[in-house]
Amino acid sequence: MEIQVERRAAVAVLAIAGSVDGATAPALVAAFREEVGGGWIRIVGDFARVDYTSSAGLRALLETVKETRQRGGDLRLAAVQPEVRRVLDLAGFTGILKLYDGVDAAVASFGA
Amino acid sequence: MRVETTVAARVENLAEVRAFVERACAEAGADPRAASDLKLAVDEVCANIIEHGYPGRDDGAIGIACEDENGMLRVTVTDNGRSFSPEDIPKADTSSGWEERPVGGLGWHLIRRSVDDVDYRPDPVRGNRLTLVKRLPDQD
Repeated sequence: MEIQVERRAAVAVLAIAGSVDGATAPALVAAFREEVGGGWIRIVGDFARVDYTSSAGLRALLETVKETRQRGGDLRLAAVQPEVRRVLDLAGFTGILKLYDGVDAAVASFGA
Repeated sequence: MRVETTVAARVENLAEVRAFVERACAEAGADPRAASDLKLAVDEVCANIIEHGYPGRDDGAIGIACEDENGMLRVTVTDNGRSFSPEDIPKADTSSGWEERPVGGLGWHLIRRSVDDVDYRPDPVRGNRLTLVKRLPDQD
């Protein structure tokens, strides 16, 4: 798994590539925490190149949703692929996460 | 078709476990959706064994066997770590709002939801055996 961070005005876009599982999720958690710790509470997760997630990835997402929303921000996902979307559905995450077709729409949703 | 493998119980081997299941599914002619579901279930089972079965150890082993039979794929996962009681696992919360939703606790829920049958036989002497069954849709 690889993560690239790009700033767009007040929004941090994290482009994630690869599989999120018990081995790789700690790096994702760390990346999200670094953003929130640095005051970047409006985060877009670009999931276009994420081909898999297990519950380990879901933990990272929910923790970050809570941390950002409690500070008035949010974590929003863009371009979630069908295999990952299915896991979000099975876990009931599609009811709490905001999903967008692409990064531009997700960034724009913050009014940035 | 029957294939089996043994991996060291470490998180860095989860990708290898998924690749093994994916190859078995391809060999059995499983559709991509069934293969994805089974990969997820086996990953979650192995992640649980690594975290809870062999806590603090990296010398444990996990055996995985895949076989197809009468339009079903059966995956048997064996380990010699700590056993657990499925009935003691708290029910996952998949519906409350983000404020109340607890972080974690979804692994067993995903296993139950992604396969058709789960059978767990703990055995401290001969080893624990967890069997997952996934029905394969007709390929006609």
